[in-house]
Amino acid sequence: MLILGIESATGRVGCAIGSHEGVRASVQATRERRHAELLAPQIQAACAHADISLRDVAAVAVDVGPGLYTGLRVGVTTAITMAHALRVPVVAVCSLDLVAFPLRHTGRSISVMIDARRGEVFHARYGCLPGGVQRLSDPEVVTPDHIVSQMLARDDESLVVGDGAVRYASMFEGLRGVELADPGFAHPSAESLVLLAHSRAVREEFVRPDEIEPLYLRRPDAQPNPIAGRS
Amino acid sequence: MNASGAVGPVVNTRGAVGPVVNASGGVGPVVSARDAGRAILGIETSCDETAAAVVAGGRQVLSSVVSSQVDLHARYGGVVPEVAGRAHVERLVPVMSQALVESALDDSDIAAVAATAGPGLVGALLVGVSAAKALALVWDVPFVAVNHLEAHLHAAFLDEPSLELPVVVILVSGGHTMLVLMEDRLRYRVLGATVDDAAGKAFDKVARYLGLGYPGGPVIDRMSTQGDREAFAFPRAMLHDGWNFSFSGLKTAVINHIRRHPDSAVEDVAASFQEAVADVLVAKARRAAAAHDARGLCLAGGVAANSRLRELTLDACTADGLAAYLPSRAMCTDNAAMVAAAAWWRWQADGPSALTVGADPSLGLPEV
Ligand SMILES: [Zn+2]
Repeated sequence: MLILGIESATGRVGCAIGSHEGVRASVQATRERRHAELLAPQIQAACAHADISLRDVAAVAVDVGPGLYTGLRVGVTTAITMAHALRVPVVAVCSLDLVAFPLRHTGRSISVMIDARRGEVFHARYGCLPGGVQRLSDPEVVTPDHIVSQMLARDDESLVVGDGAVRYASMFEGLRGVELADPGFAHPSAESLVLLAHSRAVREEFVRPDEIEPLYLRRPDAQPNPIAGRS
Repeated sequence: MNASGAVGPVVNTRGAVGPVVNASGGVGPVVSARDAGRAILGIETSCDETAAAVVAGGRQVLSSVVSSQVDLHARYGGVVPEVAGRAHVERLVPVMSQALVESALDDSDIAAVAATAGPGLVGALLVGVSAAKALALVWDVPFVAVNHLEAHLHAAFLDEPSLELPVVVILVSGGHTMLVLMEDRLRYRVLGATVDDAAGKAFDKVARYLGLGYPGGPVIDRMSTQGDREAFAFPRAMLHDGWNFSFSGLKTAVINHIRRHPDSAVEDVAASFQEAVADVLVAKARRAAAAHDARGLCLAGGVAANSRLRELTLDACTADGLAAYLPSRAMCTDNAAMVAAAAWWRWQADGPSALTVGADPSLGLPEV
């Protein structure tokens, strides 16, 4: 089963094509705010590298966040439109799962933090299982301070990773039992997306394109206006 | 001239929740032999309407679907960019697929996919641009990026194919107020623009101050029919001074008036305010038409649905021997048929757009 994975939840944007044999092609770039310009040409290039036509794709996988809103909108719109036009199903994957996945062999608990701006991070904790990771807490938007105090209370061995962890590295350095993962693991990758999505696709864990919604975790800032909408 | 009738199967019911259904109801449209193989799927998501349409050869509207978000934004008293962006993601795929079904064409009949790339709200534009590129890749057809203002200028042609150029276009909406000399399909000159508020913004702000809710345009139009438009002489800023407009002073004058005379009839205030806006717009357009030997006046943009503006435009044209092009209300407000139409002419002139083209929130009208 050939899967196209679309990843644009953070400052990185990219796509990958893969099957049960692994990743056949991937194209990624880290250029903030250029997702809408970069993604379509990247998909075109990945198809050429993998020597396939989009018509050969059997499912589209997409990172639905949490992450940066504009990037998510580009990725999710591209994925659901393509899936609809190709008449194939969609696999929706959480960005935090994707950051934890490459660290599945570390054997320690993993704290993933994706930068949410405004002094906050999107966060979830993971444990390692044979061949994968398991989410131990629901995705949430919190301050790094809050995560530090939780770690001090738990006092276990943990690995912190993600662009949020990189940004607030100074707060985690020196905490007992806490180690920062290599910054190379900071962003969710399209390769991980394809690998993770493939096993879900085999189990037919699909979502209908019209059921996909980015995981924003925050409400829009605007406040309803009391005198508006009276007509 | 077509002042009131909707074109083809276009229906734009502001305030409808979810996609709007084809009004024709019967057998789907059939592409004329001349336009076969020239169908463009257009997408519009620049502000608070999620829209898709199929137009053949830049003139034949096969379908036009608009899902308005006006109800979503009403409780905020204005368009909230983040709310708009989220709603576009939810609604665009159903709207696109409905436009395709109503066109009675197959995927394989679509010759190109177009989307508004600017100007507009960046988080909203990105949705349409991304979707259009995705379809272009899957169907292996060209992508055409469209300028939203250029699309508005093409809307009148869909209602009135025999429109004779040059015309002076009054392009007025919540985001824009411009006087444009349209010399040819793709040749324009922006004669003037607002130096502060867009006309549509002024309507929203005044309506809000009068406690009439959002959006301001339709409700002020409705109230004005019960009011005396000469009750209060609100200022006509820059009336005899160049081609630019200013509405911020007018808005302030209306607000000050209400403060000083709280017992003024709301209907009279609304009618007098609306008169001042329409008067300035038409007076300048009329002078511009004379100065540039234009053959007619044309309305475009959401505020062009205003009944007093339409009336004054028609009166001016009758008095000056000009043609009046007043597109249907559905064609004035944001829709994707105008995007697909503009895309056809751009594509013929410039070829397809690169897939690397992104959204540009401050895109200007391409002038020659
Ligand atoms: Zn518009």
